[in-house]
Amino acid sequence: MRRRVIRFVPRAALAAAGGSVLAFLVVPVLTVIPMSFSSSMTFELIPTAPGLSQYQRFFASPEWMVALGRSVQVALGAMLVATVLGTLAALGLRRLATRTRRLLEAALIAPRIVTSIVFAVAAYYVFAAAGLVGTVGGLILAHSVLAFPFVVVFVGSALYGVDPALEEASLSLGAGPVTTFARVTFPQIRLAVFGSALFAFNVSFDEVVVTLFISGVRTKTLPVKVWDAIFYEITPILPAISTVIILASLVVLTPLLLVRRKA
Amino acid sequence: MKRATLARLVLLGPPLAFLLLTFVLPLLRVIWGSVFAPDFTLEFYERMWRTPVYGRVFWITLKLSLLTTVFAALLGYPAAYFLDTVKPRTRQVLLLCVIVPFFLSVLVRNYVWMVLLQRTGLVNRVLSEWGVIGAPLDLMYNELGVLVAMVNMLLPYMIFPILSALLAIPPELRHASASLGAHPAKTFWRVTLPLSMPGVAAGGLLVFIVSLGFFITPALLGGPRQMMVSNLIEFSVRQVLNWPFAFALANTLLIGTLLLYAIYIRALEGRMPRTAGLP
Repeated sequence: MRRRVIRFVPRAALAAAGGSVLAFLVVPVLTVIPMSFSSSMTFELIPTAPGLSQYQRFFASPEWMVALGRSVQVALGAMLVATVLGTLAALGLRRLATRTRRLLEAALIAPRIVTSIVFAVAAYYVFAAAGLVGTVGGLILAHSVLAFPFVVVFVGSALYGVDPALEEASLSLGAGPVTTFARVTFPQIRLAVFGSALFAFNVSFDEVVVTLFISGVRTKTLPVKVWDAIFYEITPILPAISTVIILASLVVLTPLLLVRRKA
Repeated sequence: MKRATLARLVLLGPPLAFLLLTFVLPLLRVIWGSVFAPDFTLEFYERMWRTPVYGRVFWITLKLSLLTTVFAALLGYPAAYFLDTVKPRTRQVLLLCVIVPFFLSVLVRNYVWMVLLQRTGLVNRVLSEWGVIGAPLDLMYNELGVLVAMVNMLLPYMIFPILSALLAIPPELRHASASLGAHPAKTFWRVTLPLSMPGVAAGGLLVFIVSLGFFITPALLGGPRQMMVSNLIEFSVRQVLNWPFAFALANTLLIGTLLLYAIYIRALEGRMPRTAGLP
């Protein structure tokens, strides 16, 4: 049934106000796309001679390509660690009494609540002592911490829909816990697990604050190199790189949005 | 050992051990390091409160966060209200405008604001072409630039809770009010607005909490006078290598954020989804 809502402002005025706010959210970031096709050395909103020269410069630059490759590498690693650990945690939480579960859940989601700069400083200090600063492993660990809570939340909410009776039936019929998970539980939460893996990839791929601290000169990720470029060399290559970063996020997240709409 | 206990241990052990080592331990080190250097001292907290320059940074952080919250509410409410009135199908599509930018790189979005707001940027160019302004305006490296970008970045945190509060209002209430002769404006003031206030409160608290820790936006769009606590922490660590002082600042930010978050959970327990701001 269609909701009918009593309005006190005319529909047109409300649509104009609400629509402008929505436009304010989405339009600014899109302006970077036309800018990226500029072939001049200065900024143009509408390129006078549109071309792909900035993209060519980006993909032909070994320095940028190394950073891009490293970002992908770190994001894949963080995706794996966060998804495995987050799924384990969500499965474990379900087996606890409500009170304990609530408490533990809050603790597991904490990395999302603690401000990134606080974790950045903390990780920088401790990782430096452990020789992890400036290593891909260190970046993967830190990014996993940040992506982990999303997996716990997404997989956790998918697990609400799983009937424990089915798993109990499987166990009582002689299947081991691993078989039960693989054959009964996992097929029901598959979408949430893959979805949160994509999300974890995106969290890592876009992370900049913590990475600024714990990436050394030799392990700069793409966002950190963009950060440096913003401060030290504003060049017309940045809109093209920004567009690539945006497109990467969109490619990774589109399946997630499609699933969400079905749900 | 009972089988159930073993299962819990196997499932929760690895993630808990992982967080303990990579998250809890580093944070404890920050708390420890802020008061032991190496003997117990409150010197760094004292310096933080006594030095006017640092006091100013805290004041600016609070002021910018509060302003961001107010503007996010003023813009977010009409947007949420509009989304509440459209058909569910349209709402699904329009919600993409809120969800998609939320998931895009924060750095890229800040960078785009730099390009738009600079003296030769799009905003200045359009305004001067239309003859609205004679000379380019200073739209960034000041409070205005930081606020515009912060509100832009944090609006989704405001829109989602308000929208879910609005959607939870049974339509009969508004119809009853109308059929009893209330003017639509009165229905809004007496029924809709009060019933959606938990959403505004939830969104407001979330926006304020997240604002307090903002780092990228003030660094890119602010001037020296818009330095926020996060930027001061970075400066202390990376420029002057004053670790204990950075620890004291970080610890203050940490405790402030956690206290506000506890209030958020307590005040809105059961009324709002507990997803730490995830849509």
